[in-house]
Formats: sequence, structure tokens, C-alpha cells
Amino acid sequence: MRFHQGTVLLVAVLGLARSVGAAEPVTIEYWHINSPTFGGPAAKELVQLFEAKHPNIKVVEKFQPGVYTGLMQQLQVSLAAKRPPAVAQIGYNLTAYAAGQFPHVLLDKYRKSDPAFFKGIPDNIMALGVLGGTLHGIPFGVSTPVMYYNADLFKAAGLNADQPPQTWDELQRQGAIIKQKTGKLAVYLQQPNDEWIDQTLIWGNGGRPLSEDGKRIGWDAPEAMEAMQMWQDMVNKSKIAANLTWEEGLQAFLSGHVAMCLTTIGRQEHMRRNATGFQVRAVPVPRFGSKPLATATGGNVLMIFASDPAQEKAAWEWIKFVLSPEGATIWTKGTGYLPPRAELANDPRYLKPFFDEAPLMKAALQTFPYTKPWVSFPGPRGLEITKILIKARDEVLEGKRPAELILKEATQQANALLPK
Amino acid sequence: MMEATALGAATARSRTRASRRWRGAAVGHLYLTPAIVLTGLFVYWPLVASTVLSFYDWNLVSPTWAAVGWQNYRELIASRAFWMSLVNTGKAAAALTVLTVGVPLLLALAVQRVGPRWRDLYRVVLFSPTVISMAIACAVWLWIFHPLYGVLNTTLRLVGLQGPAWLSSSDSAIWAIILVTVWKTFGFNFVLYIAGLLTIPREMYEAARVDGASERQLVWHVTLPLLAPTTLFVFLSTFILSPQNLFIPTQILTQGGPNEASNNVGYLVYQLGFEYFRVGYASAAATLIFLVFLVLTALQFYLAERRIHYGR
Repeated sequence: MRFHQGTVLLVAVLGLARSVGAAEPVTIEYWHINSPTFGGPAAKELVQLFEAKHPNIKVVEKFQPGVYTGLMQQLQVSLAAKRPPAVAQIGYNLTAYAAGQFPHVLLDKYRKSDPAFFKGIPDNIMALGVLGGTLHGIPFGVSTPVMYYNADLFKAAGLNADQPPQTWDELQRQGAIIKQKTGKLAVYLQQPNDEWIDQTLIWGNGGRPLSEDGKRIGWDAPEAMEAMQMWQDMVNKSKIAANLTWEEGLQAFLSGHVAMCLTTIGRQEHMRRNATGFQVRAVPVPRFGSKPLATATGGNVLMIFASDPAQEKAAWEWIKFVLSPEGATIWTKGTGYLPPRAELANDPRYLKPFFDEAPLMKAALQTFPYTKPWVSFPGPRGLEITKILIKARDEVLEGKRPAELILKEATQQANALLPK
Repeated sequence: MMEATALGAATARSRTRASRRWRGAAVGHLYLTPAIVLTGLFVYWPLVASTVLSFYDWNLVSPTWAAVGWQNYRELIASRAFWMSLVNTGKAAAALTVLTVGVPLLLALAVQRVGPRWRDLYRVVLFSPTVISMAIACAVWLWIFHPLYGVLNTTLRLVGLQGPAWLSSSDSAIWAIILVTVWKTFGFNFVLYIAGLLTIPREMYEAARVDGASERQLVWHVTLPLLAPTTLFVFLSTFILSPQNLFIPTQILTQGGPNEASNNVGYLVYQLGFEYFRVGYASAAATLIFLVFLVLTALQFYLAERRIHYGR
């Protein structure tokens, strides 16, 4: 009897200790696109540090192949099965679709409960997670397009490698010289399965990818048509630009067959390590004449898909951690993405040493104040609109018809798919 | 009395035989049940569900399916992407049929004529691409196709020809995809033909020779007719599997581009369903494509069956 009483007492004490000392552990899933060669180790390091600081939260990080589109496919399926991750990276180009179609947590309430977290994130960056005046996601990865160039090819063409082109006119002049003197192509603008660089050209020439009211696609505006015609002419008339798939274009630049390459700063580490036999440098993308620099912002927001309050709370803690100075430092070092908290770049405790040792990153920092949104097309047919515009670019670069005709047709098709 | 007894015994024997037959059939059905259930569950039920879904608009996430009648089919028939992908699949099926049905047959006939040591070497060389992962093969082909310094265009330049930008040009992209697919599937059909040739009895050739048949007549009147079942299988499997075989090179090399120039029906269904998340629309495409292939396959069966000689 005495034994039984002792056992009961022990169980009661242990139970009390458990309920007082520690809350029930919560496990959340975090989906990302960071492969082992692009930020995967940084994602694991963030999880380890976070779990050390939050012993009651376990984060299961899951890499999703196929970049943002691949992640969206898996996310859609997981939502259909009612087992979504608590937090996922959503590319800026897909944010409107995800916000409009997927059940998720709206984040404006945290502006009130956690004002300190939002301090230090510039408005133009925080705007990347805002749609229709509502905060749907927290900007996490921020990348800008930059222009990498082969300094040795510039020298071989008799050009000053310290003065690469700053405008498209200069690029075309210098490009013609490079082609004539070295026989190499002058430039490659990235052509993956998205229209990021196209939006950069449109913003840069003073256009808008989408009207402010979201009712009209901007690909048939004079600024857009002029920019795309310039690209077509560089490929087909002056023949200084390469029309290649993304992989081919990167290989061509890294092997010294193309002098300049416009792509993401997220590739800086890859460029630095793989440029064979030449010095790679980076500058901001060229401007259109005297117009100010403007580039579409790449990267992703973190959106919360957890429906359980405990999971949502844990997810918010995770987001706060990865965007804290400590988390953002690990993230930027591991990926080359810019930190949403710009001041970290000048802070010797965090990212200043990294930026001092990574000269290519300076081009992105110079671009940072001029970033514009990578417009995500609204409505359930938004993803098809993107594809229509990619197909139009393909046709423009083939050069069989003038850009104006192609873009007007594509815009008409795309406009019909926008929500009325 | 004796007659009645004999009748009773005969009836009993007949019952026993019927009972044995019934039990035999029951056991047969029992053995078949798992296969039938799994096939029904994973082949026929999705087929029915996909056909039903083709009359709805659904994005995988929405709790409701919106009925849209024939709208998905109307939109599909009016879409350039659908017709482009159908034409490209037709081109690919025709090219694959010629290159992976006809050429492996000729090579298999040739390999039969060389000595055993060479025969083994040729088999290994010609079959090797089949065992290489398609994804890895595509990575290698990406390099071969590179317009500036790839092996293909560099070789063409040596003989004074300017090769295209294989993957970026709408004139060449589909042919690049077909080339990779042929390279990958060629060896499998070659091995099937080798196996088919081995099943032809030697006495058929000996009898024909005794009758004075020439070597060409042996091929034409003995080998090809007796190889017909293998040819039919190779032909049908190549044709039916062509959209599936095209999928991976399309995904890795061109994503259907530029501007749909290398798209095909299998990849189109994937794009509609898993890039645009229009599952009903994708199901309509899948249903139409299924019907097209059903008709073509039935036609092939009908035509081929009339000219095929099975067994001895």
C-alpha cells in the first residue's frame, strides 16, 4: 500500500513538473528551395541554432526541387491533402497566386504585437510581401540582377576593364568592339523559365509590368516594346548577344565565350568559383540613357500555412529568428541573397566582413535602393500569364517578327486572363 | 437397375469434372484478383476520375469543383499549345518509329551475321545508352548541343556547316529532343529484335535453303514474317510510349520551348496540371489524347494482325 502511495505521488510530481516546467513540444515543417550547393547548409545551420534557442520547437526543414515552381507544385498537393508545411518560401513571382488561392495566415496582426521585428526592414522591401494592402508574407531572400563581366575579354578587346558599360548604349558600343576584336559574343541576358530579367528591362526603361490597379499587363507599353526590341536587335541585328537556354548561357559565360552576363547576385559564389581562366567582376545592370536604375527584385517571402495556433506561433518564432541579425547573417553568407535588413551589410558584428571579402556583392548593394517588385500576376490564371510572356520573349529573340507585334498579341492574351 | 447405376455414375463423374473445372476457374480468378484490383485501382479508376474531372474547374486546393461542362474541351481545341504539342508528338512518333523500329531491325540482322565475339561487343555498345539514366544523359546532351562550343556544332563547323542553336531555335528544338530520345530507346528495341531472331527455328532456314532460296529471300520470306510479332510489339510500344519517353528530355532540355516548339502531349498535360494548376483542363487534355491514341492503336492492331504470323 505504501508502495502504491509512493508511486502515485511520484507520478503526480513528475506530471506537475512537466506541466509547469515545459510546454508541449511543437514540430513544424519548413519548405525551402535551398539545394546543397545553394544555401542548403545554411538552412540546416539555421535550424540547429534555432532549436538550441527554442527547445520546445522542432523544425523539420525540407528541400523542394524545381526551385519556386517545384515548391509550389508540392505545396499545392500538400494543401490538397490538408498537410501543408507550417512555413514555406514563396517566390515573389508566385506570391499573388499563393495569396489568392491558398489558405494562409495574414501577418498584419504581428505588426502590432511585434513592432520591434519590423524595424530595420525598408518599406520597399517589406512591400514585396504586401498585396492589396495586406501583409501575406515576410520578405526573406532578396536578390537583384547584376551584370557579371569577363575583365580579361575587355582587356583583350582593348577596352578599359575598370570602366564597363553603365548604359545599354555603351554596352552595345563596347559589345561591338568585343565581338570585332575577340570574335566572342558580348552579352547574355538570363533566359530561365521566368520573366525576371524581362521585368527588369521594363522597369529600367520606365515602364511597369502591370498597371497599378492590376487590370492591364504592361508588355505592350512603348517602354516595354522598346526594351524588348533592343534585346531582339542585339541578338539578331548586331548579333552581339546570345540567345541561349539558361544553362547554356551560364556555361558560355563561365567558359569565356561571352563577355557579359546578366543574372542574379545569388549566383555570385558560383561565378567566382567556376569562372575558368579569367577574372570575373560585377556591376549593376546597365541603365537606359539617363533614366534611373530600376531592377525587379528576386527572391522569396516566407508565408505561414499552419492552421493550428501552436504551429502558427512556432512558425512566427522561426520567421523572427531567420530574419534576426544573427539568422540573416547566416542566410546571406550561405546564399548570396541580400539581407532584408540593409544595415547589417555595414555592421562589423554581422555582414561587413563578408561584404568586404566578396567584391561581387557590392554590385548588388549598389542596386539595392533601386529595386522594384518582381510583379506577380493576380488571379487564378496568373501562372499562365507568366508563361504567355515567356513564350513571347522566346519569339522576340528568334527575331522572325518585330517585337511590337509579338508583345501586342501576348498582352492581349494575358489581359484576358487577369481578374476583371 | 444396372442402367440406372451407370447413369448415376456418369452423372456423378460429370459433376465431379464440372466441380473440378469450377474449382480450377475459381483458383484462377483468385490468383488474378490482386492484379485486377490493383489495375482497377491504379489504372481504370484514375482514368474514370480524370474523365469526370475534365468537366470541372479545380486547382487541387479549392474545396469545391466548379462544373464547366464542355468548356475545357472547347478551350483546348482552340488552343495553339494543344495543336502544337499534338503535331510535335506526331512528328516524334513518326521519327521514333522509323529510327527505333526500322534501324534496330537492320542492325540486329547485321549483328546476327558477325562472329560471336563481335556480336557480344556490338550488343554491349548498342545497348549501353539504355542503361544510362535519362537525366544524366540529358546533362551530357546539353553540352553536346551547346551552339558555341558543343561537340555537334564544332563537328559541323569542321565540315563547313553552321549548326543551329539546337535548343533555342524553334526549327530545331523538337529534333534535338527526338535525337536524345532515339539515342536512349534505340538499344532496347535492338535487344528485343535480337531475342526475336533467336526464336526463329533453324530448320525453317534449312528447309528454305534446300528449296533454293537466296539470302535475300531468306530474310524477306522467312525472317521478317516470323519476326512480325516482335516487330508489332516494338512498333506499338515505341508509338504508345513515345510521349512518355519524350517527357524527361523535354523537361530538362527545353521545358517545351521556345514558344511551344518542342512541347508534346505528355509534357503539355503536366504543364496544365502542375504548372498552371488547372487540373480539370489538364484532365480534358489527357482524355482527348487518350482517345486519339486509343483510335490509332486500335487501327494499328487491326492492320498489323492481318499480316502477322504467330508461332510455327
